[in-house]
Amino acid sequence: MKISCLQENLAKGLSIVGRAVASRSTLPVLSNVMLETDNGRLKLSTTNLELGINCWVGAKVEAEGATTVPARLLTDFINSLPPEQIDMELAVRTQTLNARCARFEANIKGIDAQEFPIIPTTDDAERAIRLEPEDLRQMIDQVVFAAATDESRPILTGVLARFDGDELTMAAADGFRLSVRSASLGQPVEEAIEVIIPARALGELARISPDQEDWVEVFITPARNQILFHMRDVDLVSQLIEGKFPDYRQIIPSSHTTRTVLDTSGFLKAARVSHLFARDAANIVRVEVAPGDELMPGRLTLAATSAELGDNVGQLDAIVEGDPIEIAFNAKYLIDVLSVMDTAQVAMETSSASSPGVLRPVGDDDFVHVIMPMHISR
Amino acid sequence: MPDQTHAIVHLDLDAFFAAVEALENPDLADKPVLIGGRPEARGVVATASYAARAFGVHSAMPMARALTLCPQAVVLPIRHHLYREYSRRVMAICHETSPLVEQVSIDEAYIDLTDQVTTWEQAISVAEQLQGRIKAEIGLSASLGVATNKLVAKVASDRDKPGGLTVVLPGEEAAFLAPLSVRALWGVGPVTAEKLAEMGVTTVGDLAQLPQQELQDRFGRHGASMARMAQGIDERNVVTEHEPKSFSQELTFSQDITDFNALRQQLWQLSQGVGRRLKRKGLAAETVAVKLRYSDFTTLSRQMRLSMPTDDEQEIYQAALVLLRRAWQRGRAVRLLGVTGRGLSPPVGQLSLWEDRSQASR
Repeated sequence: MKISCLQENLAKGLSIVGRAVASRSTLPVLSNVMLETDNGRLKLSTTNLELGINCWVGAKVEAEGATTVPARLLTDFINSLPPEQIDMELAVRTQTLNARCARFEANIKGIDAQEFPIIPTTDDAERAIRLEPEDLRQMIDQVVFAAATDESRPILTGVLARFDGDELTMAAADGFRLSVRSASLGQPVEEAIEVIIPARALGELARISPDQEDWVEVFITPARNQILFHMRDVDLVSQLIEGKFPDYRQIIPSSHTTRTVLDTSGFLKAARVSHLFARDAANIVRVEVAPGDELMPGRLTLAATSAELGDNVGQLDAIVEGDPIEIAFNAKYLIDVLSVMDTAQVAMETSSASSPGVLRPVGDDDFVHVIMPMHISR
Repeated sequence: MPDQTHAIVHLDLDAFFAAVEALENPDLADKPVLIGGRPEARGVVATASYAARAFGVHSAMPMARALTLCPQAVVLPIRHHLYREYSRRVMAICHETSPLVEQVSIDEAYIDLTDQVTTWEQAISVAEQLQGRIKAEIGLSASLGVATNKLVAKVASDRDKPGGLTVVLPGEEAAFLAPLSVRALWGVGPVTAEKLAEMGVTTVGDLAQLPQQELQDRFGRHGASMARMAQGIDERNVVTEHEPKSFSQELTFSQDITDFNALRQQLWQLSQGVGRRLKRKGLAAETVAVKLRYSDFTTLSRQMRLSMPTDDEQEIYQAALVLLRRAWQRGRAVRLLGVTGRGLSPPVGQLSLWEDRSQASR
């Protein structure tokens, strides 16, 4: 293998594939990045067996070939180089990659590319589901944080994605909160498909996809065990999580007794302030909603008390329909969801101190978030 | 008790394991009985009955040596389950006597009677009743010491074994301890005893004669505390309960298990046990750990931090199951399985989306 490419392009490609490098693996080759010539370009690949990324970088190929070298070392070395041309050549017998750029030169010892797991790619554009990159990024941002981070119930570490007709719905729940977001597809799917995608894979996808101008094309393997997101120059492949996602629809309350409409950024700011005190006290923030009258607007009060630090109270004007209510939430959960609301106003629907609270962006029916309250003793 | 004097009882069950075995099998009464590991497995004596002690056998002695001293002894394996149950019954009686009970080991406890009595006569009579109840209701013999502090009470309980009740009245502590070896004092081990011997000190009385400053210069802070103990002074309180750091349940199987479903069932039982104990104490665990010991004694443990502390046995089980799947080499024989909940704090009261959060993954 003998190739030349630009430092900036290679550095960028390595930063994209770097996220799928296995951090602690019993297979040494998984901490490597594979370099492979592919139709006049350089293909970079990494995988931790759950997530795999292929990225193509423009290059001048003088001799075809492939090898794998430690991803961390190569990335750090390339990032240290000046933005000039890099010439790389592989000594096949010793699997040593020689890289030269300006007045730097390195020989990096690698492992034979034969030992690297194959990451699927696809040319099957026929069966692709097309997604708008910006829509996709927003959907992911609005659901992925609600997925479970502990692995005690593996299903909940994933995001349910349902492709049905011309609609895609994503849902995630960690047992205490639920996020559901839908968007319309570029073109309808022939049959409805439901898969559970690891939240981590979607997080990486959201990181990569905004750079894209074209559609993101989605392929699901016939065995329904892998999903591939095809973008210009990048393929991201993830294992799917097996099992049945719990029925989340029954969790979304169909009615409420109080609807409180608030300024989104004001609510977020107040939640952040109360969290300063709440984080020392199991994150509990007490929310009190009082309807207005002819003279006074309605209002929402957030209060947090820490036995050691002290307490704080914040107040917001609100349009309140229905009964007054007192309810307690995890301040962090409020911050998480309010941070991803992109409408000016948000509506909070509540029924009682022990039934789920619902947050919806005002004027956007595609997103709904449910938070279970915290039980407080008075 | 008037004028801030404490009344502390130290209770020590006599030849406890052997006494329990004799209760379970009356034929063993008055026979030399040795509880412990088999001699061919290099076992040691955990408890010797008084009949066996007459032959010079004592606990911690290699079983093989004990049997050369007392070849006719009946050797029995340790049955912890059984002893724990008897211990629990004894401690229950202690708790009925006073709420301030510090259980030090399976057969030993301090009981603070200070708030229960107003005179020493009363304290002595309460101690006698306690001893009598343990004998009458359970059938076990206990030796008791009654004094103004833990140190003296413990030394006193050892004075007249088995079945004795030794009282050291206020003001008599130093005189009571004086003839004893310095080793009787808490925290005086062989090394310290040897250093003291070099200074001409062998008894507690000798020690009490030394100026406190000299001891302090020689042994630092420990010297100061030795000087106080030699005077019969001990300010340690009866500690009723240690704040638990974790709750564990583990089980060694009578036969090694190689089948996943069987392991899973055991795991469920253990998880239930941990959940029950958490609930009883009003605590929730943030971390769940699983311990696995293979038949070759290779032991490993894996743990997982939960996003929300829990006291729910289903949730503990779900996490434990994921850990077991990760840790266990399919088909390899398992000898012991354990589940631990640690990182304990009161539950935060976060309600769940699902009534039973674990149903999410059914």
